[in-house]
Amino acid sequence: MDIAYTGEWTWAASLGRLLIALAFAGGLASTIGYTRLVRGDDPHWKALGRWGFRVQAAGIFGASALLYLLIFSHRYEFEYVWKHLNDAMPFGFMLSSFWGGQEGGFLIWMCWILVLAIVFLRRQPGKLEAPVMAVHGGILTALSSMLLGLWFGDFQFGLDPFLLLREAPQNAGLPWTLNPDYLQLIPQFADGQGLNPLLQNYWMVIHPPTLFLGFASTLMPFAMALSGLWLRDHKEWMGRAIPWAFFGVAILGAGILMGGAWAYEALSFGGFWAWDPVENSSLVPWLVLVAGAHLLLINRAKPGTAVTATYLMVGLSFLLVVYSTFLTKSGILGDTSVHSFVDSGILPQLLAFLLGCCALFCTLLLAPGRERVLFGALQALLMVGIAVLDPALCTLGLLLVMTMAVLRAHLRHLPRTDAESPLWTREFWMFVGGMLMFASAVHITFQTSLPVLNHFLAPFSGWFEQLHQSTGSALARKLATHDLAPGTDFDATYHAIQVPLAFLFITITAFTQFLRYGRNPGKPVFMQTLRSLLAAVAVTLPVVLTYGFAAWEAPRVALLLACLWSAFANADYIIQVLKGRWDHAGASIAHIGFALVIFGAVLSNAKKDIVSQNRFGDLAMLNESLSNEEDLLLLEGDTIAMGPYYVSYRERRQEGIHAKFAVDYFETLPASYAEGEVVSNEGFLFQCIGDHTASPDFTRDLEAHWTFLPIPNDRQRKEAKPWSAGRPGPFAFTLEPRIQLNERMGNAPEPDTKRYLNKDLYTHIKWGRVSDPDADEDGWMDGRKHDLMRRDSLVIGRSILALDSISAVTLEQKPAFGLLDKDLAVAAHFRLTGNGPDTNFTALYIVRDSLLIPDMVTLEDRGVKLRIDGFRPGEATFETVVWENLSIRRDFIVMQAIVFPQINLLWLGCLIMTAGALMAVRQQRRVRKRNTKAAA
Amino acid sequence: MSRLNIVVILMVAVLMGTLFSVFTANSESVVFARAFAEPGIEFKVSGTLDTDHPVMYDPMVEVAETRFHMRDKDGALQEVVLRKAKPTGLEQSESIDLYGKVVDGQFIATEMLMKCPSKYNEESHSLAEAKPEAG
Repeated sequence: MDIAYTGEWTWAASLGRLLIALAFAGGLASTIGYTRLVRGDDPHWKALGRWGFRVQAAGIFGASALLYLLIFSHRYEFEYVWKHLNDAMPFGFMLSSFWGGQEGGFLIWMCWILVLAIVFLRRQPGKLEAPVMAVHGGILTALSSMLLGLWFGDFQFGLDPFLLLREAPQNAGLPWTLNPDYLQLIPQFADGQGLNPLLQNYWMVIHPPTLFLGFASTLMPFAMALSGLWLRDHKEWMGRAIPWAFFGVAILGAGILMGGAWAYEALSFGGFWAWDPVENSSLVPWLVLVAGAHLLLINRAKPGTAVTATYLMVGLSFLLVVYSTFLTKSGILGDTSVHSFVDSGILPQLLAFLLGCCALFCTLLLAPGRERVLFGALQALLMVGIAVLDPALCTLGLLLVMTMAVLRAHLRHLPRTDAESPLWTREFWMFVGGMLMFASAVHITFQTSLPVLNHFLAPFSGWFEQLHQSTGSALARKLATHDLAPGTDFDATYHAIQVPLAFLFITITAFTQFLRYGRNPGKPVFMQTLRSLLAAVAVTLPVVLTYGFAAWEAPRVALLLACLWSAFANADYIIQVLKGRWDHAGASIAHIGFALVIFGAVLSNAKKDIVSQNRFGDLAMLNESLSNEEDLLLLEGDTIAMGPYYVSYRERRQEGIHAKFAVDYFETLPASYAEGEVVSNEGFLFQCIGDHTASPDFTRDLEAHWTFLPIPNDRQRKEAKPWSAGRPGPFAFTLEPRIQLNERMGNAPEPDTKRYLNKDLYTHIKWGRVSDPDADEDGWMDGRKHDLMRRDSLVIGRSILALDSISAVTLEQKPAFGLLDKDLAVAAHFRLTGNGPDTNFTALYIVRDSLLIPDMVTLEDRGVKLRIDGFRPGEATFETVVWENLSIRRDFIVMQAIVFPQINLLWLGCLIMTAGALMAVRQQRRVRKRNTKAAA
Repeated sequence: MSRLNIVVILMVAVLMGTLFSVFTANSESVVFARAFAEPGIEFKVSGTLDTDHPVMYDPMVEVAETRFHMRDKDGALQEVVLRKAKPTGLEQSESIDLYGKVVDGQFIATEMLMKCPSKYNEESHSLAEAKPEAG
């Protein structure tokens, strides 16, 4: 029975699903057509392939357009729109709600693949058309199957972006889903949930599409590599793939750094890079792609060099993109990662896609015929085993078979040169650099994949346990618990290995450009790069002196030196060798940019200065010198020293979804002291013996301006202020770190940053109230209990409450207090100082006939009231309850402030690198055109 | 043996070495019982925040000290001290990794990782409670 739902775009759901199904079917047809076309030029298969591709493209573009239509028309009956959009979101964020979920992510990924494929088809693809498009067809079909949203019993096949809320599995069978007027009747449908506020940042409008374009651009070189294997032509595709590979390098690199910029501006993990699984899994394909692109360059100049490595790098860059999709979307990181990744229910499908791509690549590496069939069948068998038998063991087996296939292909099928390549050649050092980048990628992948590795260790747990018991090996015990996770100390887990590797491959980028392909005389290269090396040393020295490096940081300093050398040498190459011919300078410019990125990243991260550290406190209390305090407590209205500034927390206010905390910054002026002033320093008191301006260090002033007070009197004790070299100067600027009020995910702090040319001051709230505490209608907050003895004091708002003395109430005093003769009473004499005149008052503890008579003392104008609830004579202690009024309450925040030196070099380098890589793409296309012309 | 092969072999050797060191470097993941049996040694303890006890953090007294109760994987409940300001979202956390050691009968953590509902997490949106408005 069909229900005619009122106001629902039922047609759009049907149309959307039709478009996805069409894309899937078109993709299948295109794959079959183009696959047959590889065997022989048959116009029918060609037509099938081409028309299949057109149908598929129409389906995907149509589905994307429809999803945007639904978003712009606020059709909240669709689950995807309801989840990621609400009425309050401005236009920019409506754009980004498209990729708020996985379904949209797949769609935009496919759109970019299609765009690149269309560009490829328009550029005389020749005989590469059939195999490349067959691979594209297969990949796109698999990707569109992720959007089919079919259910086979409990097994979900794809996520449907056009799912209506009433059809969502968690709502199935609920009574309202049968109500034709449900959209009008249920208030929840009037507005959507809205995009996760963390994603409501302008970087989120451009970062995901850029990254997905980067991901998409790894497919073209991969497809071309597969074509090379398929056609057994290891030369043709390599030339064609070069511009595509460098396009991927440019876009993926920019996309990754945009993610860093977003993290820096919107997330409060204190920096732009956190070696987070999501960041890592997009960095790794980039590293491998860079290695692959350079191996392609080698192969164009010296055909037949390191062919296996070239295939592996180009193949892996795409396979690693798929792997990263699998890691972050399948929920497999769930158990051990800091983030909770969602298991979207399509893990089996994603795993099949990943293993399928790997298996396809490995099978094509082998010779056609029996061998391919054998290995292919073996891999298929193991994949079935993963589904029905032991997943971990069968995956291990599969990896083993794949490794064997690669080795066999290398030894038997792929061309190898036995010619020894001379040491001082461009190709040799480019190869070494590429391999070093690959090593760096392997290490990062390994750390990121520890949660996956745990799954593989699980079946051997018992075996490792035995090994541990027989040998006592701690390592065996660790492996037996199969609970490996990357450490929290980035220096140990990542930097210890990444810094030396980066040092090596960046050093290689400094001199390799000066080498030619083929044999080089050694000396000129040395002379050519000498002056840039000297310049780099000359700049590194002051950097090291300014920022102060410890001996153990030697690898870091070496890396900084290498970065500078690379930047200078590549600039020098443009002057010396290219003589300013900019159209050939793409590679050099990209190298300069990359060196600057690493230089900025390393320096700003290694020499970041947490200026909110409470350094004075450590000096005053030497026993607390190991204190972990990185955060500053700021009371509203107080002005205190923080690093090179004085800071004052002015106010909190709410703006939209943010609670903003305005913190004023003042410059520091040297303090001046007048004769007779008393200060305390490290627990001792000193008196000033002459007007002077303080120097930065107290001991320098001591002799000339201060006299030690061995036995200070009470007045001096009271007047003494802690010595300080500075005092607040003129107002400098205001920063407003925020807390985002996020009901769905919990409140999230967002930083605010003061940018200078040579550094950033980055501040964020570690703890703060987003609203006033609860209070009754008169403004009294919940009372707090304190046990008070004589001479105890409390801070209440801006005042100090002190218990001066205790006395028993005598018979003569009783009438004055309005007490009966039989009453027992003790008087507590309090004094309230600060924020008004000193006020003395008395609170009584009264017992009448063994009953407690409460005596509430209220100082309305001072915003304080208190009551004594108990008295312990033995300890002379009052159990006191003190109430504070909102009117005198001082808000406070705990804030962290970090100075990142030279971080702008990172962003500048990013722009330069992207521009350079795009220039290289243009240059490579020109070279290709010239070569094709020459050949024709 | 070409030079390229030598480079590859060297690379593999270096990588194996570093990966092995990675295995041995990570701090061992244990339960409270073991950490208390071997005081002074740094361990990683994973578990969940116990919400029956309050999280105690008073920056007016001590900016970098948070006390809370955590239940480890064996279900043992333990009060722990974290030498840091209270991390945002502690109450919402789904699981906690503490890095620290036992000192004077107290588990003192210097580092903490939380698994929180984050941008990668889309909660299931159930409209089971949805009811048509009266009238």
